[in-house]
Amino acid sequence: MTASAGTPVDTSASTPGPAAASAPAPRPAAGRRRSPYRAALSTPRGAAGLALTCLVVLAGVLAPLLTGHDPTGQSGQGLLAPGAPGHPLGTDDLGRDLLSRVLYGIRADLGVIAVAVPLGAALGCLCALLAAVHPAADTAVQRAFDLVLAFPGLILALAVTAVLGPGRLPVILVVALAEIPVFGRQLRAGILVQRGREYVTAARVGGTSPARLLTRHVLPNAADPLVVQFAVSLTVAVFLEGAMSFLGVGVRPPEPTLGNVLGQAMPYLDRSPHLAAGPLTAVTLLVLGLSLLADALNRETRR
Amino acid sequence: MTPPPLLDVRGLTVEFTAPDGAAVRAVRDVSFTLRRGETLAVVGESGSGKSTTALALTGMLPGTGRITAGRVLLDGRDLAGAGEPLLRTVRGARIGMVFQDPMTALNPFLTAGQHLTEVLRAHGHGGRAARTARAAELLALVGIPDPRRRLDDHPHQFSGGQRQRVLIALALAAEPDVLLADEPTTALDATVQDQILTLLDDLNRHTGTALVVITHNMGVVARSCARVLVMYGGSVVEDGPTAEVLTRPAHPYTAGLLAAVPRLSAPSGTRLTGIPGAPPDLALLGEGCAFAARCPAAEDSCRTAAPPLLALPGGVRAACPPAKDRTAPPWTPPPPGPAARPAPGPVVLTAEDLRKVYRRRGRAGRKHPRTALDGVSLTLAAGETLGVVGESGSGKSTLARVLAHAHPADGGILRLRGEDITRPARRHRHTARREVQMVFQDPYASLNPRLTVGEIVAEPLIAFGLGDRAARDHRVTGLLRQVGLDPATAHRLPRSLSGGQRQRVGIARALAPGPSVLICDEPVSALDVSVQAQITGLLTDLQRELGLALVFIAHDLAVVRQVSHRIAVMRQGRIVESGPADEVCERPRHPYTRALLAAALSPVPGVHPSSGAGTGAPPAATAPAGSASRAVSA
Repeated sequence: MTASAGTPVDTSASTPGPAAASAPAPRPAAGRRRSPYRAALSTPRGAAGLALTCLVVLAGVLAPLLTGHDPTGQSGQGLLAPGAPGHPLGTDDLGRDLLSRVLYGIRADLGVIAVAVPLGAALGCLCALLAAVHPAADTAVQRAFDLVLAFPGLILALAVTAVLGPGRLPVILVVALAEIPVFGRQLRAGILVQRGREYVTAARVGGTSPARLLTRHVLPNAADPLVVQFAVSLTVAVFLEGAMSFLGVGVRPPEPTLGNVLGQAMPYLDRSPHLAAGPLTAVTLLVLGLSLLADALNRETRR
Repeated sequence: MTPPPLLDVRGLTVEFTAPDGAAVRAVRDVSFTLRRGETLAVVGESGSGKSTTALALTGMLPGTGRITAGRVLLDGRDLAGAGEPLLRTVRGARIGMVFQDPMTALNPFLTAGQHLTEVLRAHGHGGRAARTARAAELLALVGIPDPRRRLDDHPHQFSGGQRQRVLIALALAAEPDVLLADEPTTALDATVQDQILTLLDDLNRHTGTALVVITHNMGVVARSCARVLVMYGGSVVEDGPTAEVLTRPAHPYTAGLLAAVPRLSAPSGTRLTGIPGAPPDLALLGEGCAFAARCPAAEDSCRTAAPPLLALPGGVRAACPPAKDRTAPPWTPPPPGPAARPAPGPVVLTAEDLRKVYRRRGRAGRKHPRTALDGVSLTLAAGETLGVVGESGSGKSTLARVLAHAHPADGGILRLRGEDITRPARRHRHTARREVQMVFQDPYASLNPRLTVGEIVAEPLIAFGLGDRAARDHRVTGLLRQVGLDPATAHRLPRSLSGGQRQRVGIARALAPGPSVLICDEPVSALDVSVQAQITGLLTDLQRELGLALVFIAHDLAVVRQVSHRIAVMRQGRIVESGPADEVCERPRHPYTRALLAAALSPVPGVHPSSGAGTGAPPAATAPAGSASRAVSA
């Protein structure tokens, strides 16, 4: 990891015309710069994050191939210890294979966050664009964001399930709802910053239409933080889904999710702590991987 | 026998690690000495290593910077390899520092008094009451009136110049032997710069503090320092008494730099002479003389081995072996003859009584809006350059933006060839925009970092719907050639270009739609002196070729005089004086113009440029603001 500060560029920061010094050390390709995203993924931090995330995602996606057991199929052998024949992670209280429940749980989790986060991001960005159009729209959107942000995630979750009842849809809805203001604010701030930049004024004087101004000059330069935010939001979504299922307001049993597998392990924690180990490990690895990714992206895009 | 020097720097070399892991030498083998009470200027362009040298002295190199060779002896004690505890006792107590930007260098939460007492406490100065007394004393020393009361003021209650005074007081708090001032006046207006330089001068004389001024401005060197060190590409190229170096430069770079400095005495229409090429990229610099690539007198040996500093007559040392046998000046730049300028044509643009008010947020802001333009009228003819000068806050940039339709005017009429374009209908706005284009001050901020040069220049063509793809590519190639860039530049990103090249891209973009008026808002003030001349020359050439009407906005009167046919002086949103460029500079009528002229610095030591313009106390300080109330039309 190279320190981000301290390139020779910084040495001339206090001179008035940083002409020569800010031409950065010549890169192999003097033209297009290397994509910061690819650069981020090739750092040790980014690579580790990518590997962890891929590991968990693959485990979820390939669940039917990795285990022969039906995650909801009960058997007479309840609470088998890990390493029992045919059940590498043992079984739960109802005799269901724990490995397949964890793997299918990951699958269910991914299904929720892969829909909810992009949905939230898209709606949030849409709101931000709306806010960028007119000051009145801006105020309306901002206050709506405040309203959503005023509810802590779980209270929001409980409120939504109180109306819709538990299930997959409410979870998606809650995660998306929680992410809308986050993305909306992020993008709105980016748009405001970029709109004040001189090259945007230059483009305006150059006759560029407002729509083109937004799509060609403002948005591409405001997008970097959103990519980072996306990775952060995925981790938040994992937590939120887990918490909802854990509390029993999420995806309905018997379908496994990481949250409800963990929830069902709670009563047996003193006798069979291994019940909780599987889902906890999966959540930890997934969140760790995504956080490392977000961090790596953040470091590279801010350069 | 002379006493040993206070500060003795020998062979100082500083390296940075580039992001790709390569070592970049920012300072190479720099040696100099400083005696007690001496004044030394370190002058150079961006990337010359002058600031890095200053930071290395007190071990404050940023990021990956480190001293890889050499010694920094302060009274015989080496600071180059010293640990943090020793350096802490040196910083402030022995070597005080003043930085460039007085606006950001003070903590907005603390009062001036708190800033000062904090430093005094850090250096173990007396009790609370004694510290407060000393803080007031320091404020008085740097010329802040009513110091006792001002101790309780926060930074925002001081003006820019006063903030710089507070910073100087902070640097002096522990009575250092050396005061290091890094571009102390660059962020300040000319009249304030003059005051700060006077202050530094007085402090040096009264307290005996040795002064090191780091600057890019030859005028500051001539004004404030007895000895000068000229740096280029990380090395010292020339070193000697200021009077000697500035009048008889031995190194070709010094000579070129001096020739490139615009002189206020040069009449309107004089062509500035620049140094061809751009300042070096430190990462690419080989072993030879850093200036060899741009030097007209370079020999083969210059490119292979680093030239040593050779002693020359007059106490000068220059890192130019050929200079030793040279009797003639190293480089006689082409004589600054008047550029051929066609007579201005018919009037293109007129502005009548333009007004622009910025309403800030909140009730107080609405109650007391800031008037940026207060009845500005001007006319502009084809092929004519109107120079607009003024200090910060005078409304020059607002004028540029209103003229270019970047901001709407709140009042007044703007006419293009007699047609009212103040508030054009959507249909007409395009025509108005095509005709009036703008070149921006900051060549870094005004180019979209994600687009290639070709895309940037083609942007207005697309916006105005000019030509198909092939025609646009052809036009972009032509435009890049026209502004002196290699057409292959089209595929590069702005970040891989130098400042001068970027400004050329900005000019190419402005020319793309074929405008008849070009508004240039401080087009050269962010550029190095040696590059400034190239850009002003380019603008003049383009004007001649295309018959452009130029509005040239700048704070530097000398540049404006040489470039412009007519000058308008702005103050507080009004044009206080206007007239033919030479007339305004030779026989200024308004006291504010006289103050500006008096504050302008000349690179010739001992000569005040405005000898004919009423020196002495700047009249601006004495003239009541109301005296400017009569709006003049340009």
